[in-house]
Amino acid sequence: MSTPALELVDLTKTYGKLTVVSHVKARIDKHDFFSLVGPSGSGKTTILRMISGLTTPTSGSILLDGKDITGLPPEQRGLGLVFQNYAVFPHLNVYDNVAFGLKLRKMRTSDIQTKVYDLLDRVGLVGYEKKYPHQLSGGEQQRVALARAVAPNPKVLLLDEPLSALDKKLREEMKFWLRSFQEDLGTTTTYVTHDQSEALSLSDHVMVLNAGRVEQIGTPQEIYESPVSMFVADFMGLTNCFSGTVAAIKDDQVQTRLTIGFDVTATARHRSFEPGQSVNVFVKPEAITVREGRGATASTVNNFEGLILQKSYEGVLLRYKALVAEQQIDIYAINTSENHFGEGSNVTICWTPAGVVVIPADERKRGEE
Amino acid sequence: MTRMPRENKTALLAIPALVYFLLFFFVPIFMLLTLAFNPKELGNITIRPVLTLENFKLFFSYPVYRQSLVNSLWLASVATVICLFIGYPVAYTIARTTSKRIQAFLVILVFCSMQIDLTVRIFGYLTILGDNGLINGSLTRVGVLARPLPLMYNAFGVIVGLVNISLPFLILPLIGIIESVSPDFLNVARLLGCSRWKGFLKVELPLSLPGIITGVLFAFAISMSSYLIPVLLGGWGRAVLPVYIYQQISNQGLWQRGAAFAIVLLLTNLIVVFALIRYYSRSYTKRVLAA
Repeated sequence: MSTPALELVDLTKTYGKLTVVSHVKARIDKHDFFSLVGPSGSGKTTILRMISGLTTPTSGSILLDGKDITGLPPEQRGLGLVFQNYAVFPHLNVYDNVAFGLKLRKMRTSDIQTKVYDLLDRVGLVGYEKKYPHQLSGGEQQRVALARAVAPNPKVLLLDEPLSALDKKLREEMKFWLRSFQEDLGTTTTYVTHDQSEALSLSDHVMVLNAGRVEQIGTPQEIYESPVSMFVADFMGLTNCFSGTVAAIKDDQVQTRLTIGFDVTATARHRSFEPGQSVNVFVKPEAITVREGRGATASTVNNFEGLILQKSYEGVLLRYKALVAEQQIDIYAINTSENHFGEGSNVTICWTPAGVVVIPADERKRGEE
Repeated sequence: MTRMPRENKTALLAIPALVYFLLFFFVPIFMLLTLAFNPKELGNITIRPVLTLENFKLFFSYPVYRQSLVNSLWLASVATVICLFIGYPVAYTIARTTSKRIQAFLVILVFCSMQIDLTVRIFGYLTILGDNGLINGSLTRVGVLARPLPLMYNAFGVIVGLVNISLPFLILPLIGIIESVSPDFLNVARLLGCSRWKGFLKVELPLSLPGIITGVLFAFAISMSSYLIPVLLGGWGRAVLPVYIYQQISNQGLWQRGAAFAIVLLLTNLIVVFALIRYYSRSYTKRVLAA
């Protein structure tokens, strides 16, 4: 296995008795887009600041290309950083902002110029070089900050919630743009966000943090489809949680008996369960199909009768709240004519085993060891 | 009756201050300044319809008066520069203090020196700088000095005093401006390869320029127009312009001359103020216009 671009070894930060980051381990491969995601206070920004050298870890170490950089001041680490507020230097124009790091490296003026114009071209700001930050929009400032950060060819690019200050529409556009920008440059990127959908859509790998500890590291698909803990499931926005026990295990399928009285079958996803083990069962709202009337499908598993309680029209999606055996569940359906059901109508609700996530109920204790 | 728009009503709140300034600042200053263009007349303070520039001519024809203006200028300049070098680190430290309570305490400390009357403070200096004061007294007693150092009744004493009175006025506006410069600018500069010190020089210092200009203007204007400090700590050998203004009016009863000297002081101050503001706004508008 090749040396990872960045490796965090037992990284810990405490302030007095308060532990902000606790024994975080991670390997970030070259060219990887790696996200740190978690709610506020989960320690993600502290980890980023420790990587950048702005905060000193209490213990543990940080390896960059295999070399220990834990004790190095920020200016000797060779990293790029973009803050949430961009921090574009207001007293310098766009050109000088982007050239800032290059000039410090005593490069020839002509080389600096070539590099700056190449980057301005990549971020779509050619013609803006004489403008000052106060004349730029938020999105433009962000691209200046990005160009400035990648100009000196950093070994790792650190992004601290760079999209959170933009409005929703621009944020969606920038998300795609940012990903292709990163892929073009091939720069290893560490991205901090509290927005799970941002992390999922941008990243090669995602680290979910909870109260300073790593809950799970994996590809977006692994994180979303097989969360290892209640916390990850909850944070990834999984709803329709039922509690129950494992009834039987057959091939790769787990049969669970829910406390509300019926059975749900789920794909095991390489996890081992024991019969009788208490579990939490999540049914993904988008994995649910609804048919008009009772007994409308021939499927043998996960087939239930339900009642539509509430309908919400959201354009692309239709969202329903339905009652299944006295439990309310959320359903997302694509807005097509066969997916329209009136409030109060009796329906058949079914879901595929692949749309069900089973998590051991005692998993939550793992974080308290 | 028509109703006044709301914003006009708010303007009414400024009326007491306006009346006060009009009565007790603009009117007397205007009257005094008008006197400067009347021929000198012992004890007379009424304005007469006779215009002359003889008071100004007198000022510029006597070397002692011209020298007093030069003294004022260089003493104030040196004091201001020293203030900036002492005050900036203080303002920076206070602005970058993360604990709001410690910060408030430090600001109060800066204010502290202003709580005590100037005369009392100056007499306090005598106990330190005087020939038998703390410094000279102890050093001669121990035998380090054969004779006391001239720490007072010279430029040194005046500058020490001027720095003391102007320092809080330079520090206070600076704190606010430095605070408004996000620490993220320095952080970004460091990640890009600046040392702590280089990052300060390249980013934080230029961004705090508006605070420096404001502080310098305060410190300079206060030092230029100080009367008590040059008199009590400088002695007559270092006569500055305010001393002669006082002398013309109080000792000689020549209000017209005093007024003319005051105008010279006022104009000098204004020229420096405008030069600094122009320098600053030029460097600012240059970048805006260039874009």
